[in-house]
Amino acid sequence: MEKTKSPEESRKLLDKITFDLTRSIVKRDELTRFWYFILIMFAGVGLWGWGIQIRDGLGVTGMRDYVSWGMYIANFVFFVAISLIGFLISSALHLLKIKWSHPISRVAEQVAIAGVALAGIIIINDMGRPDRFLNVFLHGRFASPIIWDVTVVTTYLTISVLLYYLPLIPDLALIRDRGGDDIPTWKMKVYKIMALGWKGNAEQYKLVYHAMRILMILIIPVGLSIHTVTSWLFAATLRSGWDTTIFGPYFVAGAFVAGAAAVVILMYAYRVRYRLGEYFEDLHFDYMGKLLVFVCLVYLYFNINEFWVPAYKMKTAEGIHLRNLFVGSFAPMFWWTQMTGLILPIFLMLFRFFRKPLPLTIISVFVLIASWLKRYIIVIPTMEHPFLPVQNVPDYFKHYSPTSIEIMITLFSFMAALLIITVLAKMFPVITIWEYAEEKGIDKKILAEPKK
Amino acid sequence: MKIKLLFAALVFLAQQGMAQEWLVPEDQKSVQNPSEYNLDNVKKGKDLYLQSCKSCHGDPGKNNALPLVPPPPDFTSDIMQANTDGELFYKITHGRGGMPQFETTISEDDRWRLVNYIRNFNPENEPVLVEEPPKKAKILASVNEEQRQVEVFAEYQDKDSNYVVLAETPISIGAKKAFGTLPIGQVLTNDEGRAEYHIPESLIGDEQGMVTLVIDLGEGFINEDVVLDAAKVGQPKPTPKLIQKEVLWSTNENIQVWLLLSYLAAVLGAWGTIGYVVFLIFKISRAGKQE
Repeated sequence: MEKTKSPEESRKLLDKITFDLTRSIVKRDELTRFWYFILIMFAGVGLWGWGIQIRDGLGVTGMRDYVSWGMYIANFVFFVAISLIGFLISSALHLLKIKWSHPISRVAEQVAIAGVALAGIIIINDMGRPDRFLNVFLHGRFASPIIWDVTVVTTYLTISVLLYYLPLIPDLALIRDRGGDDIPTWKMKVYKIMALGWKGNAEQYKLVYHAMRILMILIIPVGLSIHTVTSWLFAATLRSGWDTTIFGPYFVAGAFVAGAAAVVILMYAYRVRYRLGEYFEDLHFDYMGKLLVFVCLVYLYFNINEFWVPAYKMKTAEGIHLRNLFVGSFAPMFWWTQMTGLILPIFLMLFRFFRKPLPLTIISVFVLIASWLKRYIIVIPTMEHPFLPVQNVPDYFKHYSPTSIEIMITLFSFMAALLIITVLAKMFPVITIWEYAEEKGIDKKILAEPKK
Repeated sequence: MKIKLLFAALVFLAQQGMAQEWLVPEDQKSVQNPSEYNLDNVKKGKDLYLQSCKSCHGDPGKNNALPLVPPPPDFTSDIMQANTDGELFYKITHGRGGMPQFETTISEDDRWRLVNYIRNFNPENEPVLVEEPPKKAKILASVNEEQRQVEVFAEYQDKDSNYVVLAETPISIGAKKAFGTLPIGQVLTNDEGRAEYHIPESLIGDEQGMVTLVIDLGEGFINEDVVLDAAKVGQPKPTPKLIQKEVLWSTNENIQVWLLLSYLAAVLGAWGTIGYVVFLIFKISRAGKQE
């Protein structure tokens, strides 16, 4: 925290900060409209595909008797994974009193909300009869990881939304009181309602801090369990490739890689689009790069464990699985994933140059694509070799390739996630203004002052 | 692709099979059949034939062998009958290609009996086993649950179309199971055409021990099987309890208590805390109004 500034200085600085950070809310131009158009159009196309799937059943997908988990489940795991970054950055780093991560918290929460919301939707995507989703609650087995998964996904979504909303309250009041005239009136009305009559008194700050602290602590076990339970969906089976004890931490570590990459990309997009270079500084990218290297190394460690141990023993079924990955039909995807998603990024990001905003963002794009493919590799190859020795089974039972309907619906999920993030970014400041102002040495009293 | 490969393999095998004669070593050709050509041996040969040969070679004289390559010859055919006894024995013993070897599954004596059975269809031989045209027959049967026995009475239609008692004839008793009739025993009728069959103690029925019995005459008779519905003559079927103990993945009915409690505690804990935070948000709102 910088030294407390004089009121005059403070007011000037606060005006500047408010102006900069509300630019995303104010900004309305052709590019925004075009972006919305693209998102809504592709999401619409995906929804149309979903309509076809509901009408004709899951036969329109590439999933058959053996490969009953396809691209949807891989996509589900991916979205759960990226959502986990919310808990790492906005809770774990906060509780560890790591300052540099503060401006990034809200970006991480955006990713978390979009990711976990879509994860829930994708599960319903994967059902031939979505109306039967209710049966999970009516007839669910408490001993089933699927019930646990539904429970933690909804819990994590709720906590993430609250953790996004709580630090937003003072910001909304700030915009309500000091916002520029160019903010649309309907948005101002929304802010007024959502600010809950915030006055900025000591009592209210105390309550916000208290509530945030509770949520930050609560989200740690919930966040860990959401991806651990997702991993148990696989690891609680006897199938080779999934039958392993380290799947929980393996998934959690992988989730941080994917999520950190997503956050870096989003930071860069905001930095360029809303001219926030002074807020998402080179320093933040540098630290995020270091964080990404760290989580990549952890993930690499788990990867080595995950493949080396069974490869040393080469039990029959495991052997088939590993050969399939390392030299078989999945080898190109496998090695692409390992190289561009882990090994090369780790190596490159050791150099300062590659932790600068643009190079880091490019690396992150590769890491994010690789982490999607990684989930595909976790789900599909194992499904393709049935556990029992079977004979006289049609070939298309055992081989899977996604159909265009599946790709459409998967595309819908990406577009819907980006839509959620875009709406959040267009609606609310992407950085917590009051926290940032406070760190710059602006007194809380000045924050509560109404506009001149 | 697979069909093509199979076809290629078949063509290859066929060439292999047809290209060469099935040569039998000279010293084996002239081996004499040590077993006598009589009704007893031919009958036993027939039983063996029904077990091991019929599935490919079909019914003698009906040319209904399986369409394999090379084709399994009918027992009455010239190809078959042109073999010497020694050659037949050698071929049964060693097999070739699609024809399996029976050296390890049928004893030497029985293999010679099979040769005798084949010879039954040789035009030069007087057939000792003549298949009569099947006769019409009727069975009456009842089950005595207390004494666990089946009582049977059988008649057949003689040449003058009169029904007369069927004496000294085997009657087979079976139990109806999910995938067909399980043969459980045979009993001979006495001179009055009657038979009593004691159901073995070990027979397992359904959950209540009910067994549906099927009474049938052997080959050579045309009759309707008698089906005795659900008689309580078997042991009750043990119903396996799939999840015997409480295990981690039990159903809700026998879920482990600690697991249920942990789950509920975690859910209540998390949602209780969320509820508290929502309450705090209301408090924030109220704190704004106070001043």
